Amino acid sequence: MLQMRAAAVFFALCAAMTGCKFVKTADQQAQAAAQAFDPDRLVSGSWESKVLPYLKERAGSFEEVTALIASNPDAAAQKFGHKERGGTAPWTYAATVKGRIVTAETQSRAAYVEVDINGDGKPDLRVAIGPAIRGTALRDSLGFVNFNEFKNQIDWAQYGKSFNTYVNANVLERLPRDGLVGKRLDALGAFPQPSSGELPQFVPVTITVGG
Amino acid sequence: MKLTRRLTLVAFGAALAATTAMPAFAANLIAIITPSHDNPFFKAEAVGAEKKAKELGYETLVLVHDDDGNKQSQLIDTAIGRGAKAIILDNAGSEVSIAAVQKAKDAGVPSFLIDREINATGVAVSQIVSNNYQGAQLGAEEFVKLMGEKGNYVELLGREADLNAGIRSKGYHDVIDDYPQMKMVSQQSANWSQTEGYSKMETILQANPNIQGVIAGNDTMAMGAIAALQAAGRKDVIVVGFDGSNDVRDSILSGGIKATVMQPAYAQAQLAVEQAHAFITTGKKPADEKRLMDCILINAANAKKLETFALSQ
Repeated sequence: MLQMRAAAVFFALCAAMTGCKFVKTADQQAQAAAQAFDPDRLVSGSWESKVLPYLKERAGSFEEVTALIASNPDAAAQKFGHKERGGTAPWTYAATVKGRIVTAETQSRAAYVEVDINGDGKPDLRVAIGPAIRGTALRDSLGFVNFNEFKNQIDWAQYGKSFNTYVNANVLERLPRDGLVGKRLDALGAFPQPSSGELPQFVPVTITVGG
Repeated sequence: MKLTRRLTLVAFGAALAATTAMPAFAANLIAIITPSHDNPFFKAEAVGAEKKAKELGYETLVLVHDDDGNKQSQLIDTAIGRGAKAIILDNAGSEVSIAAVQKAKDAGVPSFLIDREINATGVAVSQIVSNNYQGAQLGAEEFVKLMGEKGNYVELLGREADLNAGIRSKGYHDVIDDYPQMKMVSQQSANWSQTEGYSKMETILQANPNIQGVIAGNDTMAMGAIAALQAAGRKDVIVVGFDGSNDVRDSILSGGIKATVMQPAYAQAQLAVEQAHAFITTGKKPADEKRLMDCILINAANAKKLETFALSQ
């Protein structure tokens, strides 16, 4: 009787065991690493295939975008802008910039140049040239990313930062820092709705300076 | 005899349970649960939510969980027991609160989260999230600018158990650490408290007299720090806070604290009640569960317009 009960217990255990599956720890770690949130890889993996095409397709010339913001903000938002649905962030617009550099601040880590577009000699916008880039204009300009797909605001913020890191390492670091004033500047990028009285703060994704 | 006695006992017990679980069953009740009202930020949330709920014809049950997950769980039970139609919740932790919100959902009570998010979707009907990270980046950018991108500084952290303390600190360093000439000489927790902000600042100042700036995880600690600095005759030290309280507004206007960032506590609480009302009456959920409420930088330029966590136009 006791033997029978022991056998039954053993059998039950065996039955339970079949529900288990042996997984190598190393495989598990590799799998976890593959699934772990990697904002730098998300950005570099989508830069050529999605980010640049989206901004190219969406952007209007800086003059066109700012004129429409002034005359019909809703239309400007529809045509060139993006913001998180339901959020309180300002609209961020995609634009191309062609103009001449009139001032350069290269002592700051958050370096920038100011660019005259309409030829009156006065700056019309400020273009960030890194290495430190303020804000998250690039992330916020993209219609195909959505805060709701991220775990929380930390992941979302790090994703935003990764755009700045990427553009700095792959685009801005190569720019000259000296003799910028007077040179022509061509760029594609984005800027958030400026606060009243402030110049638009533009972050480029492509930029050429010269001539 | 024995049976009847047992029956009366059961009946008595049931009656007792019923009365303790439902001391006052309200037909149209919204529960508003936040951290302690000692911090004016949470008070503003509760006041904003309560006002909107009353406008829409609800009775309210205002409770505080003191950032204690167990207490929060009990308060959710109370809300369920009282037959609340919805819960407006500024939760006690992004992980610990998931089960509590799920419990309410299982009992048929929808939750509308404000300020802090939880690490799960599909449990609450909506999450109106204060973008603490963005706010911290904004505050840090202003701090770095005021410091001329260099110098020794002190960071006062919030209570370690609070997720927002970590988020804000991360946001600060995300920006400040891009500037190699900014040197953090001390980083200590003052537990969101003004008195601790004062005493910690006093001690830090003795050990590190050569500091040019203090960045604090919230306004109450910034108020403590500026008081200690002023008592030591150090009016040169730049102090930046976080929350956008009226106290810090007044300090900015009188040349004390230099900047803070404002979270729209009052407005987001009201929005949550509007969402709850729409859900109760029409069953309609907001298009996206989560929405981010960005913070706004407050400095001498716009401090005048700040009143109870809202900027007038």
